[in-house]
Amino acid sequence: MERKKFLTAFALVAAAGPMIIDSCKKESTSTSTSSTTSDSSSCIVTATEVEGPYPYPGGELTNPLERSDITESQTGVPLTLTINVVNADGSCAVVANARVDIWHCNKDGYYSGYANQTGILGTEDYTGKTFLRGYQLTDTSGQVKFVTIYPGWYSGRTTHIHFEVYVNSVLKKTTQIAFPESINSAVDTSTLYASLGVNPLTNSEDSILGDSATDLANETVSLSGSVSAGYTGTYTIGLAL
Amino acid sequence: MFRAKIKLVYRQEISAKSESQFEKAVFRASYQEFLFKSQAYNPDGRFKSFSQMRENDGRANSLHYKLGFSVLHFISPLGNKMPAITDNVGDKISFETPRFELIESNIDDISQHRIAIFYKTAELLLVDFLGEYLLLSQVHNAENETAGTFVVQLQPNLSIVTYQGIANPQMA
Repeated sequence: MERKKFLTAFALVAAAGPMIIDSCKKESTSTSTSSTTSDSSSCIVTATEVEGPYPYPGGELTNPLERSDITESQTGVPLTLTINVVNADGSCAVVANARVDIWHCNKDGYYSGYANQTGILGTEDYTGKTFLRGYQLTDTSGQVKFVTIYPGWYSGRTTHIHFEVYVNSVLKKTTQIAFPESINSAVDTSTLYASLGVNPLTNSEDSILGDSATDLANETVSLSGSVSAGYTGTYTIGLAL
Repeated sequence: MFRAKIKLVYRQEISAKSESQFEKAVFRASYQEFLFKSQAYNPDGRFKSFSQMRENDGRANSLHYKLGFSVLHFISPLGNKMPAITDNVGDKISFETPRFELIESNIDDISQHRIAIFYKTAELLLVDFLGEYLLLSQVHNAENETAGTFVVQLQPNLSIVTYQGIANPQMA
């Protein structure tokens, strides 16, 4: 994170949780005012400012989840996704500076971050891990790109990826995407995914993505590529701003 | 003469009153992420506190791990050494896994934000109890070989969370 972004992040906290310092609480003769003044000694509520970066060896800390490549050390078929964020209520104007969060399971069907997950490897604990999660801020074209691996699957769900989109720090969309079943099957029978095998659950049978055929069609992302070369795809998230 | 294999957990609670740089950083970062991630469990902004959100929708418990991601990068520089307690000669105690817990928070009041980090050690060998002190070893030494040990005092927020008894070879 650049310094500007870092300060912006903390400014957001400061704005959300103001810690107003009343610099002259005990002096009751003056009338307090919330307006600013050039007179530094007058009796006003002191403006709240960011506390500033925390000094750590190596410089300012960056949030490692603000990243384009979310793979970490996970193995799998490479997948590159380009996400466009647009305002679908208007003239499909692109939405810049939106925060797009992504997360999905690994090739074996497990998520980072929590314990007691059951799957083909048995019960696994991935507490303290951050793999296959991240977020990016859309550029002036309303676009972000994520580099990851093709997700595996776990019992009860078709292959999917989660997204959340925040605009001006407000959650505007929570959604998921699916992929063509022919590609799911090709990936799930490839070397790294072979122990998982083909998912018996189809996209249309999925309780979340399959509840609307129209929605599923819109949420199924076309991909180009191959198991050996990896896949790429583009998906547009439309918001009602 | 090892008695058991154990794991220790130390619980560090962090609030607006916490003073260290580490605690302040974790406090601010997790509150910022709370403002983002809590929205999924707060339809129409009806609720203010985490406990209200959780009462309305149990899935709000996901915030424990979702916020945890926002503070892992502050925990990483600790080098797997617990920041709050030491052994009996002042050396820091190593941990293997950190776990984040959101105790309470409020979207309008950062002063109500309270969190805890649980630092769990790798498996340790419990050699003996000496009153309120644990004599521990981190290495698996062969019988009759000198073992490096350290002593940790039982104290509030420190607990033994796993225990596996070992048959005493001299009794076998």
